[in-house]
Amino acid sequence: MNEFNSRITAQRKILEVVNSSEWDEELFSLASKAIDRWLASNRIDRKSSIAIIVRELGAKLFFLANKSQEQITDDYRSISTELGNLTSQLEKSISIHNLHADSIDLK
Amino acid sequence: MKNHIYAFGSVCRGEVTLGSDVDLLACIEEGDDRFSNELYSIYTYDRIIQLWEQGNPFAWHLALESRLIFSFDGNDYIKEIGMPKSYDLGKQDCEKFYALFRDSYDALINDSNSKVFNLSSIFLSIRNAATCYSLSIGDPVFSRQSALMIDTPAPLSAATYDLLEKSRILATRGIGNKVSQSELDHIIVELATVFNWMEKIIGKVK
Repeated sequence: MNEFNSRITAQRKILEVVNSSEWDEELFSLASKAIDRWLASNRIDRKSSIAIIVRELGAKLFFLANKSQEQITDDYRSISTELGNLTSQLEKSISIHNLHADSIDLK
Repeated sequence: MKNHIYAFGSVCRGEVTLGSDVDLLACIEEGDDRFSNELYSIYTYDRIIQLWEQGNPFAWHLALESRLIFSFDGNDYIKEIGMPKSYDLGKQDCEKFYALFRDSYDALINDSNSKVFNLSSIFLSIRNAATCYSLSIGDPVFSRQSALMIDTPAPLSAATYDLLEKSRILATRGIGNKVSQSELDHIIVELATVFNWMEKIIGKVK
């Protein structure tokens, strides 16, 4: 798979991890304005680990997430290892979030 | 420092809507960190020359549609470097966007939890395939509506195309509302016809 499509696949996988949890509104993409909307819609603390990791992932995928006109240049640095590490951290944060949500439901 | 600033994209075509933004290009020298990549597409002069030598679609887009806003020396840099080399990767690029369409369509119909993102990626794949096709046949269309404007238009209704475009705006700018389930059901039926269209335009590209 070429680099452009690989990075969209990477973004899709990250969104599926985030959206596997129940939110008032799903995360639409890793564009900064989409992340802003998601944080506000779900009343997520901007300093929480989930918010910080999602923002960092968005920054790594910046050219894919925020730009459209130049997406066909394939002008991107290789960031696959960094994305993998951050996605693992994200999965842990989502698990903790889900556990917390479950414990609230039980009360 | 040496720099040139251009507008490009929808604002230069007069395709202004509530959801559209203003695309700005900053041509800079290496090490100039004054420009925010949230506001500008930032390219060094060396990279611009590379894109021109590759005949890259973005280079053609800039050469044909960008408008100078500021020049440190009064000259129009993009006009001065002339037209990019011929675009030879039309088939390869269209196949790339067809693969993106297939992946996004599969994710959409297989109960994805990220429907807006997949609709947005579908819009991107259809629009960019159409633009690359149009450029490769020598009749470039860079509009967001390119897939409906080329000589072999996508078999989508204006309403469905509009919903796909709105999903793109929602995903990239966080503006707007999600499509409803009934709209989604209708979109999925229409999207099934896009496979044949993609294969048709790929077949027409040299």
